[in-house]
Amino acid sequence: MNASAPNFSAKALRKTVLDMAYVGSAVHIGCAFSIIELLAVLYRNHLRYPDNDPLAANRDYLVLSKGHGVMAQYACMRELGWLHNEAFTGYFADGSLLKGLSDSRIPGMEVTSGSLGHGFSVGVGMAMGAKLRSTEQKTYVLVGDGEINEGPIWEGALFAAQHALKNFMVIIDENGFQAMGKTEEVLNLGNIQSKFESFGFDAVTIDGHDEISIDNAITHFWQSNSTAPKALIAKTIKGKGVPFMEHNNIWHYTRLDQEAYTKALEAVAGNTL
Amino acid sequence: MRDAFSDSIVRLAKKDPNVLLLTGDHGYALFDDFRKECPAQYINAGIAEQNMVGMAAGLARAGFRPIVYGLSAFVPIRVVEQIKLDIAHDELPVILIGDGAGFVYSYLGTSHQSTEDIACTRAIPNLSVYSPADRFELTACMDLAYQSKASVYLRMGKSDRGDVHKGALQAKVGRLLEVKPGQSGDVAFIATGSLVRTAMVIAADFYPNAALWSVPFIKPIDSQQVATICAQNRAVVVLEEHSVLGGLGSVITEIACELAPVRILRVGVKDRFSDHCGSYEYLLKEHGLDRQAIEQRVHDFFKETAL
Repeated sequence: MNASAPNFSAKALRKTVLDMAYVGSAVHIGCAFSIIELLAVLYRNHLRYPDNDPLAANRDYLVLSKGHGVMAQYACMRELGWLHNEAFTGYFADGSLLKGLSDSRIPGMEVTSGSLGHGFSVGVGMAMGAKLRSTEQKTYVLVGDGEINEGPIWEGALFAAQHALKNFMVIIDENGFQAMGKTEEVLNLGNIQSKFESFGFDAVTIDGHDEISIDNAITHFWQSNSTAPKALIAKTIKGKGVPFMEHNNIWHYTRLDQEAYTKALEAVAGNTL
Repeated sequence: MRDAFSDSIVRLAKKDPNVLLLTGDHGYALFDDFRKECPAQYINAGIAEQNMVGMAAGLARAGFRPIVYGLSAFVPIRVVEQIKLDIAHDELPVILIGDGAGFVYSYLGTSHQSTEDIACTRAIPNLSVYSPADRFELTACMDLAYQSKASVYLRMGKSDRGDVHKGALQAKVGRLLEVKPGQSGDVAFIATGSLVRTAMVIAADFYPNAALWSVPFIKPIDSQQVATICAQNRAVVVLEEHSVLGGLGSVITEIACELAPVRILRVGVKDRFSDHCGSYEYLLKEHGLDRQAIEQRVHDFFKETAL
């Protein structure tokens, strides 16, 4: 356990991701790096876990629907002391607790994802539950831009607006890439903000690596009197933080060799973000 | 059986405010009482089954007891992955109702007919599969599904075939229910859903010494009880308004071949879609599941196994 105060600096979180990706020869590094700042701000400033208990009944819900970014969430959960260091040093060893995609059996993860388009609906259900009980709980669902190709996202968006789930926020990691290429070349999403607005959401687009912008946007949403569900469109860079990974989709699939690992560590250490 | 279903959901919802009914824009008159008695516990999720089932998982995580209603062609078939990942993986207490199973929607064609739902659901870990034959079994299944807090798929087939049992049941999850006792060394009928009634009529008319068992719980099922039935009889006939691939016939033969090998005739849908439309009785005929066709097959089978 990490007994010290959590360090949600983007630099520390990226280092954890690199360490575990290297030791486990894991893929999806780029997917994790695009959501580092988003998760850092959420965990640092917004998510409420009474008694630091990831299973507290009245917790806020963070649903990592884009399960491919799971290493970024592991890194945050380590800072909270929810995961042991051994889970990181033994990542992907036989019998590894932590999997390559999010798994709801790990306290702190609300859904089993990787098959995309599931977490959004589960999150809508959680938000509906909080509304029915009149609790103050917030539900955040983090989806990828590629993920919103999936139909259930839009089914759930209709429902969230119909039932005025003002306690529900979807955060779209708009890094512009999906597994096989650029989103605009696979299924062009056009203007994501206006799409969610047309579904009845309050929506705003921000720089997903600017922690102050992220924080302000989330705070502004919760201070608003609007009863609409919220959509935060975060413009991000797949592979953010390591120049040779940025905007380079091979880091969806590529494993780190020792040279790349060393170079990436240097880049992250020198990154002043 | 539909009245019993309506009564069950109203009773459960009035007793427990955490019970929520979610429907995918189906079941109009069926929910009149529920909407009148428990309007705050009724959610029409729209024609959006994938989202509905995912939401049910979220609601269950938030402490609710969702009952999700759809036609069995859609719930579970359209949403198998949501059931697997969002519900069954975490053993969430969600009851999924698939109505109109089999050939109930006889005039509407393949999109609304459902003869693969048992096969698709029973391979999902943690998921129970119930298939009641009459109103008494339906009530027992609903009560046990609620009490067990398990993830349950409940298959509702043709609902107006009449009673199989004489009154309220003391059912236990997994146990087969004896409808008619038989003589050891004779033959046994094992059936589920709508075909329990058909088996009753055939057994009563032609096989006075045969046992008849109804199977409201496809999974989990008491393997030892099945093995005992197989061991006590020289032949067994399994009947279901479902594909012969992966349904009750498969369940019984899987158990029998390991624990008590016996000749088994699987009466069900023979791995084919419907070619035509017509009345429910017509559809049964097209698939060889009408009383006369089953009688003939059973007769031929018993003649063969007696040699």
